[in-house]
Amino acid sequence: MKEALYLAWRYLAYHRIKTAILVTSITLIVFLPVGLNVLVGQSAAELTARAEATPLLVGAKSSPLELVLNSLYFESDAPELTSYGQVIRVAESGLAEPIPLYVRFRVREHPIVGTTLEYFEFRKLRFAAGRAMAVLGECVVGARLAASLGIGPGDTVTSSPESVFDLAGVYPLRMRVVGVLEPSHTPDDLAVFVDLKTVWIIEGLGHGHQDLAAPEAAAGVLSREKNRITANASVVQYNEITDENIDSFHFHGDLAGHPITALIAVPHSEKSGVLLMGRYQGDDEPSQIVRPIGVMNDLLDTILTIQSYVVAAILIVAVATLATAALVFLLSLRLRRREIETMVKIGGSRLSVAAVLVSEVVVVLVLGVSLAGGLTLLTSRFGSAAIRTFILS
Amino acid sequence: MSGDAMIRITDLQFHYGEGDFALRIPELLVERGERVAVIGPSGSGKTTLLNLIAGIATPQRGRVVTNGVEVTALDDARRREFRIRHIGLVFQEFELLEHLSVLDNVLLPYRINPSLHLEPPVRQRAVTLAERVGVVDKLGRFAHRLSQGEKQRAAVCRALIAEPELLLADEPTGNLDPANKGRVLDILFEYAEDRGATLLTVTHDHDLLARFGRVIDFKEFYSSAEGSARQEAPAPGVTR
Amino acid sequence: MTAARCLAALVAAAALAGCGEGEPRAVAPSPGAEEVGRLSIFVVNYPLQYFAERIGGEAVEVVFPAPANVDPASWAPDPETVAAYQGADLILLNGAGYAGWVQRVSLPQSRLVDTSGGFRDQFIPLEENVTHSHGPDGAHSHRGFAFTTWLDPGLATLQAQAVRDAFAKARPDQEAAFQQGFETLEADLRHLDQRLSAAAEAIGDAPLLFSHPVYQYLVHRYGLNGRSVHWEPDQPPTEAMWRELEALIADHAAEWMVWEGEPIDATVERLEAMGIGSLVYAPCASAPREGDFLSVMLANAAALDHSIR
Repeated sequence: MKEALYLAWRYLAYHRIKTAILVTSITLIVFLPVGLNVLVGQSAAELTARAEATPLLVGAKSSPLELVLNSLYFESDAPELTSYGQVIRVAESGLAEPIPLYVRFRVREHPIVGTTLEYFEFRKLRFAAGRAMAVLGECVVGARLAASLGIGPGDTVTSSPESVFDLAGVYPLRMRVVGVLEPSHTPDDLAVFVDLKTVWIIEGLGHGHQDLAAPEAAAGVLSREKNRITANASVVQYNEITDENIDSFHFHGDLAGHPITALIAVPHSEKSGVLLMGRYQGDDEPSQIVRPIGVMNDLLDTILTIQSYVVAAILIVAVATLATAALVFLLSLRLRRREIETMVKIGGSRLSVAAVLVSEVVVVLVLGVSLAGGLTLLTSRFGSAAIRTFILS
Repeated sequence: MSGDAMIRITDLQFHYGEGDFALRIPELLVERGERVAVIGPSGSGKTTLLNLIAGIATPQRGRVVTNGVEVTALDDARRREFRIRHIGLVFQEFELLEHLSVLDNVLLPYRINPSLHLEPPVRQRAVTLAERVGVVDKLGRFAHRLSQGEKQRAAVCRALIAEPELLLADEPTGNLDPANKGRVLDILFEYAEDRGATLLTVTHDHDLLARFGRVIDFKEFYSSAEGSARQEAPAPGVTR
Repeated sequence: MTAARCLAALVAAAALAGCGEGEPRAVAPSPGAEEVGRLSIFVVNYPLQYFAERIGGEAVEVVFPAPANVDPASWAPDPETVAAYQGADLILLNGAGYAGWVQRVSLPQSRLVDTSGGFRDQFIPLEENVTHSHGPDGAHSHRGFAFTTWLDPGLATLQAQAVRDAFAKARPDQEAAFQQGFETLEADLRHLDQRLSAAAEAIGDAPLLFSHPVYQYLVHRYGLNGRSVHWEPDQPPTEAMWRELEALIADHAAEWMVWEGEPIDATVERLEAMGIGSLVYAPCASAPREGDFLSVMLANAAALDHSIR
C-alpha cells in the first residue's frame, strides 16, 4: 500500500494544476457548508451572548426587535421613547435593579449612551485609562472609538445635531473625555458613555446659564490679512459644561417625566424576574418588558432558515462537483490506458494497479478534506474574533 | 535436444474474438540461453506470440510452458506474478511512465507486485544498471526528458531490474537511430550472456539478424481464414 | 508541492497564543472590597455624619469631604471628590433638594439613601419664587422646598431611622448593634425635643426675627411666630436692608433676632438700639469647631431659654 501511495503521489505531483483544481474543489465543497455552519453558529452565539447577558429590557410598547437592537447594539434609530418614571417604578418594586438607557444622539456615527454608573459593572467593563464620569458633561469612550479618533482622557468630543435643520435651537454639546474602556469586543467598544442627565442636557431638557462657545479663533480663520481676519463660514457653535457654569445647570419638572429609550432590569432572582414581567402584562399597559434572548432567538431562527436553504444549495453544487471530479478521474483513466496496460504487461498485480489508481482518488479526497478541516479549525478559532470585529462593531 | 527448454509451446491455437486473425503453433521450442529473433510480416501475430509466452494472453487451445512453468494453467494473478519475476519485457515505444523519474521507472516492477520487495540492494542494482547503460546521470529526471536512445536504455534497465531468466523484446530498436540500435542490443546480449538468460526478440530489422543464434520466420505460424494451417517441419527461413 | 500547501494550512491552523494583558482596573472600585469590615459611608452634610456615626459605631467609616468652613448647601465637590463618593458603600442624602450638586453628578443609584424620602409630604415649600426666562420653555420659576429638615427633632429622628434601615440592609448581621445606636440617638433627640418644646411654649406667640430663611422646620414644629430677612452674620447689613427690617418690624414687633452664627458687634449694637436682642441658633449643617451636633442643638435650646427670661 505504501508503494501504491508513492506512485499515486508522484502522479498527482506531476499533474499539479489538475491536482490543485481537484483538491481545491473538494476543499471548497466540504468547507463551505461546514465552515458556514460553524460561522453561523458562532455568529449566533456572539449575537446572543449580549442578549443572554441582558435579562430584561423595559421600553415603550412598539417593536421588541427595535428595542433590543437599540439598547443592546446601539443601532441607529431610537425606538419610541419611554420615561424615567419606569426606572423609578422598577426600583420601587424591589424586584430588579434598573439601569436606564438613553441611546438617541450620536457623536458623528458613534452612539452616545446615556446611562448610570451601574452599566459599567453590569457589562463587566474595565477601564484602560482614566475613570468613570463624575460630573455633568464628562464622558467615557469605548476602546475602539478612542483608538480610531485618537483620543484619551483630557480630550473632547462633540455631539452631532440630530437633524440637519435643528430649529429647536439646541446646540451640540462638547463633552470632556475622562475615561477610556478596555476592549470588550462588543458594541460598547464604539460608544460614548455619559450620565443620563448629560443626554437630557444635549436634548435641551436641562440647561444652565452658559454662553454659546465658539471654537478657537485659529481653527475658524479662513484668511488673515493685516488686521482683517475672515472667519471660516463653517464655524459651528456648541455648548459646553465647564467648571464655571456647571453649578448653574438644573432640570425642570419632575425627572420621572423625562425620556429614556429603555431600561435594563436586572432581577434579584429568577422569581422576581417573572414577577416583574407579570406586572407589565396589562392590556392598558403603555410599556413593554422583553427578554432580549427571546427576541434574538426569533431573529436567528429566520437566519438559520436562510442558512439551511444556502446549505441545501451548496450540497447540490457539491453533488455536481463530485460528479465532475469523478468524470475527470474516469477520463484520465482513459487517457492513461497505455500506462495501465504497461503495468499489466510487465506483471503488475491487479490489486497493485487498482491500488495506485484508487490511491490517487484517496489522496485527493484526503487532502481536500484535510484542508477543509484546517480551514474549519481556523474559522472556529478566529471566526468569533472576526465576527466581532467586522460584523458586530 | 529439448532437455532444458525455456519455452515450450504445444498445440497452440489462438484467435481474438470474432476476427479473422488466428494463430496456430503446433510446436515451438526455445532452449535456455538461446538468442532468438522472430521475423515476419506485420499483423502476423509476433506480438501475440510474446504475449502468450509471457502469459499476458491465454490461448483457446494448447500449452505454453515457460521456464518450467505451465503458464496456460495459471490463473491471472499467478501469471502476473510469474511474469514480473521471471520475464523482462522491452517495447518498441519504450512505455516509460512520464510522471515518474527514470529511477522510479526502473524500480517500477518492485512497486506494482507484492511478490517483489523493494529493498536497498534493489536500489543499488538499479544504479548499477543505469551506469552500465549510460543513463546514471539522468536517474533523477522525468522520463520524457530523455532522448529516444536514453529512454529505451532506461526501459531496458526496468526489464532487467528483477533479474529475469527470459527477455522478451518487441521491436526494441524500431524507434532508434543506428548507433543506439546497436547499443541496446549490446546491452541485451551482454545481460543474457552474463546471466545465462534467454532472449526472444521480435524485429523488422534484417540487418541485425546476423547477431542472433536462431531466426524464426513467423510465416509458419500465422494463418487466416483463407489460408490453411502450415506444417511445423522446418520451412525455408528457419535456421538453427 | 501539494505537500507544502497541506503543511502550510496545518501550520496556519496553529493558534497564536493570545497576547497577555496587563491587569486592567475595575470600574469605580468595588465598594469596600478591600475592607470587608467597615462600611464606607459618604454624606452630604454634618448632621447626617453625626447620625451615621452614632448609629453605625465601629462598623462604619463616615466621610464628609466638604471643607469645614463652607456651607454644604452651596458646596459642590470637584470631579475627583465625586469619584470618591462613587466608591462608597452607601451615600446618605438629605433630600428635599439639599445638595443641588447631586443633580449634576453621576452616583451609583443603588447605593444612594434619601433619608427624607419617607416624609416628603411634610416638606415645606419655599416662599419666594425666582422667576426667570431661558431656554425653549420660556418664563418659569424654581419652586423648591426648604431643606434644613434636621432642625425638627422629629424629622431628624425619621432621617436617622432611614440611616439605620440602610445600614441594616447592608450589614444584616449587625442589625442589633445599629438598632441600639439608633435608640440612644433617638432618646437624645427626644430629650432635645422636650427642651425645645418647653422653650417654645414659654415663647408662645411672641414674634421672632430670623436672620436667614433656614429655620422653616423649626418654626413649623414649634409653632413659632417668625419672619425672615436675608442677613449674613459676618457681614454688616446695608442701609436698604436696615430699612427693610424697620418696615418688617412695623407690624411684627420682634424682640429677638435669631442668627445662624455669631453676628458682628456693630450689628448687634444697632439691633439692641432698636430693642432687638441677638441670639445664635446654629443650624449646624457643617461640623462645629467645638462639640457635636447634640451639644450644639442643646446650646441652641439654651439660647432660646435665655431669650425668654
